[in-house]
This record gives sequence, C-alpha cells and structure tokens, in this order.
Amino acid sequence: MTDSRPLILDSHLDLAFSALQINRDLTQPVTTVRVHDSVQTMEGFGSCTVTFPDLRAGKVGLVCGTVMSRLDPDDKWTRTGMYAQAQCHGVGRGHLAYYQALERQGILKFIKSTADLDAAISAWQTPTADTPFGLILTMESADPILGPDQVPEWYELGLRMVSISHYGTSTYSHGTGTEGGLLPPAKPLLDALKTAGIIIDLTHLTDQAHWELLEIYDGPVCASHHNCRTLTPGQRQLTDEMIHSIAERDGVIGAAFDAWMLDPKWQRKIPPYEQLTNATLETVADQIDHICQLLGTSRHCGIGTDLDGGFGTEQAPRDLNTIADLQKLQPIFEHRGYSNQEIEGIFSGNWIRLFKDVWSP
Amino acid sequence: MSRQPILIIDGHLDMAFNALHHRRDLTQDIQTLREWEDPKPPGPSHPDSLRRRKRPESPSRGTVTVSLPQMRQGRVGIMLSTIMCRVQIPTPQLDDGMRTQEAAHAIGQSHLHYYKALERAGEIRFIHSTEDLDNSVAAWQNPDDKTPVGLILSMESADPILGPDQVQWWWEQGLRSVGLTHFGANTWGHGTGTRGGLYADTFPLLDALAETRIALDLTHASDLVFWQLIDYWQGPIHASHCNCRALVPGQRHLSDEMIQAITERGGVIGMVFAEAMLNPALNFDDPASFPPNARRPMSAVVDHIDHICQLTGKCQHVAIGSDLDGGFGREMAPVDYDTIANLQYFLEILERRGYSSADIEAIAHGNLLRFFRQAWS
Repeated sequence: MTDSRPLILDSHLDLAFSALQINRDLTQPVTTVRVHDSVQTMEGFGSCTVTFPDLRAGKVGLVCGTVMSRLDPDDKWTRTGMYAQAQCHGVGRGHLAYYQALERQGILKFIKSTADLDAAISAWQTPTADTPFGLILTMESADPILGPDQVPEWYELGLRMVSISHYGTSTYSHGTGTEGGLLPPAKPLLDALKTAGIIIDLTHLTDQAHWELLEIYDGPVCASHHNCRTLTPGQRQLTDEMIHSIAERDGVIGAAFDAWMLDPKWQRKIPPYEQLTNATLETVADQIDHICQLLGTSRHCGIGTDLDGGFGTEQAPRDLNTIADLQKLQPIFEHRGYSNQEIEGIFSGNWIRLFKDVWSP
Repeated sequence: MSRQPILIIDGHLDMAFNALHHRRDLTQDIQTLREWEDPKPPGPSHPDSLRRRKRPESPSRGTVTVSLPQMRQGRVGIMLSTIMCRVQIPTPQLDDGMRTQEAAHAIGQSHLHYYKALERAGEIRFIHSTEDLDNSVAAWQNPDDKTPVGLILSMESADPILGPDQVQWWWEQGLRSVGLTHFGANTWGHGTGTRGGLYADTFPLLDALAETRIALDLTHASDLVFWQLIDYWQGPIHASHCNCRALVPGQRHLSDEMIQAITERGGVIGMVFAEAMLNPALNFDDPASFPPNARRPMSAVVDHIDHICQLTGKCQHVAIGSDLDGGFGREMAPVDYDTIANLQYFLEILERRGYSSADIEAIAHGNLLRFFRQAWS
C-alpha cells in the first residue's frame, strides 16, 4: 500500500540533546521512553513525544537536528549550560557524533547537498519500515564553534544552519530573555558562515540583535522555530515587521509547537504539569495562517516543532500525543481552504526550496 | 618546600567527564571552581531558572580538587585522562550510564573534542608518540605557568568504540590506553561489581586493538575478565588505577597473583588516592557504607606501594593513578590532601618512608615513561 500522506520536514528538533542529556533511547517508541523516564525526568522535561518510530509513523522523514550547547552558567533548568566555550565545543561534537553513530546504524542519513536531499525525498515517496531519516545538521547557539576558522570544518561535517544565540548571552550575541545586541565576535563569524554557505537561523535573537544582524549580514536567513508576536505576545515571537524581513530574503519560518509560544494564557511560573493549555493544532494553524495572510503567500511557512526542546505533552497542543500527530494538520489546512500544493509546501516543500536555493545557486 | 619539585605523571584522571558532566571549567583556579559550585545567592534569575523546570541535580561528587592551574602548581605535567562513558541503565545514585552504545560513543567523542578544544587553547598537548613524550618531559624541566599539560588519552569502558573497524580511527585520535569494562556489565564484558567474563564479540575488538600500540588497562575488570585478558592479550598491559586486595578486601583491587601477572609482563600499577580504596573497613560495592569524610592520610597509599615493591622485589612497577576527580572530592580523599598540587607533598612522604631519590622519581614519572616508551617503540 502506498503512503499518500504528505512528507513532513521538521526544521527544529533537539534529538541529540534528548538522547545524550536527557538520556533517552530514541530508537524506541515514545510509549517505551515514557516508561524508561524517571519521575524527575518527566517533571523536568515533560512526557516524551519524539522518537524515531513515532517520527516514522508521522512520515516526518526529514529533520533538522541540532547541535545544542550554550554558555549559561546559571542554567538551573537543564543544568547543562556551560562556563567556557571549550565545554560547549565538546558537547556539540558529541551531538554530531550521536548523529554519525545513528548514520552508521542506518537509522538516518546526513543531507549535505541537493543530491542528498533529492535522494532522501525520493526514498520517502515510498517509505519502507527502515527508510533512513534525512538529517540536516543545524546548531542552536553558535558557542560550539570556537572561531571563524573552524567554520569550514563544521561545514564539512554537515552543518547547514546556525542560530548564533539561544537563551541568555552567548559568545556571539544576546539571546532570548536578555536585552542587547550582537557582540563583537559575531561579525567575523557571520562572514565565515556566509562564505561557507550556512544559513543563519534568526530564532532566539533579541529584537536588537535581529535587526543588527540583518544590517551587517546579507546572506540567507530563516527562523527554524518561531511564532507570531501578534498572536502570542512576548520577545520570543516575531513581530510582523520581522516576518516581512525574513520573507524579503526569501526565508522560511517554522511554526513551533510549544504552548508557551502558542497560548497567551500559558504561565511560565507554574509547572507545565499543573496547568492545561488551550492551544491545539488549530492554534498552530492560526500562527501559520497569520504569516500567510500577512505575506499573501504560504511560500514562507514551514513546521519547526521543537517538540523535544525541553518540554513534553503537557506543554504541547492538547490534541497532540506524539509527533506522529503532525499529520492531523493536513485536514485542518484542507478545511481552511489551502490547496494540496500549499499544504505540501508548508509540510516540507518550502524548506526544500530554501535549501536547494542556498546549496545550488 | 625544601626540595625541587619532581615531574609527576598522574596515570588516571577523568578531566573531560568533570568538565562536561559536572560543568567544571578546568582552566580555572580551584578556588574559583569551588566558589562557583557553592549555592548561588538569591538574585535576579535567568529566564530559564524557573523553579518549575528543574532537572535533578547529579549526585554530589564532592568538593573539586583537580584543575589545570593546580596541576601546574604541583608539577603534575603529564596525565592519562579518560574518555569515560559506559552503557548502563541510569539510576539516581549512578546517573551517568547511557542507555545505548551509540549514546556512549557520542559522549566519548564529546570528551575527545573537549581535550582538542583545550589543546587549541594551549592548555594541554596531546602525546601521540615517544617524541611527543620526550618533548613534554623536556618542557616540564623548566615549566612556567602556561606550560601545557601533556595528555596521554585513555578510555575507561570501551563502549565508545562501536566496533573493531573503529579502533584505527581512535588510535589516530590519540587513544593510547583502553580499559574494556567499568562498573557493571557493558557492551564488551563484566566489570566491577559483577561476576562474568568477556563476550564473544570482544575478541575481534581485542585483535583490532592488538594491531595498534594501544595498551590494555586491566582496571575495573571482573576477576574472570582479568584472567581471560591475561590469557588472550599479548600486548602491553597495565592497571592505571588499582590498589592491593591484600590490604583492602574487595573485587575492585588487585590480588597478589594479579599484581604478579601484570608486573611479570612489564606492566605498571597506578595507586588510587580514595578513602574507599584505602580503608579496609569499607565495602567498595556499597557507597552507602562510606563515612561522610575520609580518615586516612596519604601515607596509607605508601602501604600499597610498599606491598607491591616487596612482592615484586623492586620499585619498577608502581606509579600514581590518583583518580582524584573520579566520582569523589576532597571529602573522600586523604585527610592531608586538598588539591592535586599536594601530590608533591606525597613525594615527601615517600622520602620520609625511606624511598631513595631514584625510587621516588620512578614512582612519580619514570615507570610510566618507561612503560609507554616500550609500548610505542
């Protein structure tokens, strides 16, 4: 039986962090990982929603998987923020090595070129029980890059998208939760990233840094996991002007599935397991729809769930059990009058276009 | 200090594990690290530092005593430092085991690349060859406060090696000593706290290791695994951090027969500076039985050195393998020890116990230098 469901590309998952820092066996179904996880892990990181069997069940065949380690000595949440860049580099290379070990096992395949991308898309036209996932290596916070001279090496290793900040202040920029702009090391790093052909992910920049970056850097940009400030107030979301600025560079914005970014009533001061969000998959569609209406096209929308980004079902849309439920978005968009072509664009096509534009200009 | 400091080679440290698992920036002075680890005063909090999402603390590993400035201060100029990650179901008491070998490999590579980042910063220097070793020894004849610490890369638990085909790659990365097992049973066989042998797939791994000049570290082998390895492996062997079972009972330590088996083949045994391995009243397999503080001074380590020297009739097979950052801190280290710089004071204790200058130099660095020069020549 052929699987006629649309292929999904998720532009932001922290798979290696989940495997190494939360210590989850991602080759097991979500239901098994929930049994493995201790009560403390569940309370700290939420009930697991993302593993490879569930990605497969949802036909999420292409993923952007992060290298994620940041300078953040006061990180009391995950207790993984570091004191020195050398530590971030070590952890980051560990994340890369995890993906390489999975490639060795045949679970995934790195996508480094247009040819790799075409091959992965073609394999997922008629997926089998063990079709390898296509992995595009990305980085959340550029702290693991020790200097501009290291950028070519990271590119060789597969790195194709970088956000230079995360929470707090990184080596290169102020990020979410802080006020301030880029830091002096940002400019040479951005130049090296542009030369290498690595896309800049504007997610987790402060407002000031967002505009400064666009001022001094004229290469390709995107926002891997970002929603709309008009619908969900807060610095973590994009203003309409920012959305325009990304679209003007022909970038793509991946919709994030974190209740904090979807539900204005969500309270960060209360544990996720002590509140219920009103956000549903319809709310995610609202965010995407806002961008489509604002720009008059669906060309700049994608899916960047962040569903393993330190939260679980408690903080995800309430009608989502695992990442396999992403397919429930298709009838939602159909009902709203989106064409099949537009839906396929949002599910994977728009990201594919961006990558191809950057990789084979 | 009256006498000149002597170069010390520490045969076993877990530097990268401390840096990445315990988030210790090892380029900092020990006092800074201790202040950072103290509970922070209440104040404006980071957006993420919300009470609601708090990952459990790792079990305390005690007060930090090892960092690079203190190593330089104590002229601990060369170290074997580990890539350390094993496959083991994590528990609240022992939370650093990984669920899959792929994850253990990845953590292992994170350790490797932490060392590489330190090398890039000029803090340490990888030792791949006899020539590198000689250069490092020469640099430590007249060290300054920036002299890089020489690193001989070792591995504690071979889970990060995904298969025999990866051995050559690890050798090229600088790996020079491998212990197959650690706590529990891992991918390759049985280790400390378990009874059982090697697995069938381990022999091809040993064959691949034998094609390099990587030394086999017998520390943390179960008794059966120890004798299987003695039987099968023809290459260089040592025990990077082990004490004597004749003095402290328990599977974690070496019996006299084991000491003889190692030393007959030219191996060197590194002495561990942990109360848990110096106090015969403690059960190593039951950390709950440990007192909150150590009660023995560093001279207790000399007893183990004496024992091996008497048993072998010479001083050629003993070294320091302190493990002083290996899951414990100042609390469970000898009572007259504060930071790793105090290892120089340990050499004075040896002097007072009647060891000659030549013997002290052999224990401090000479025996390990000879061992690796032989292994690599």
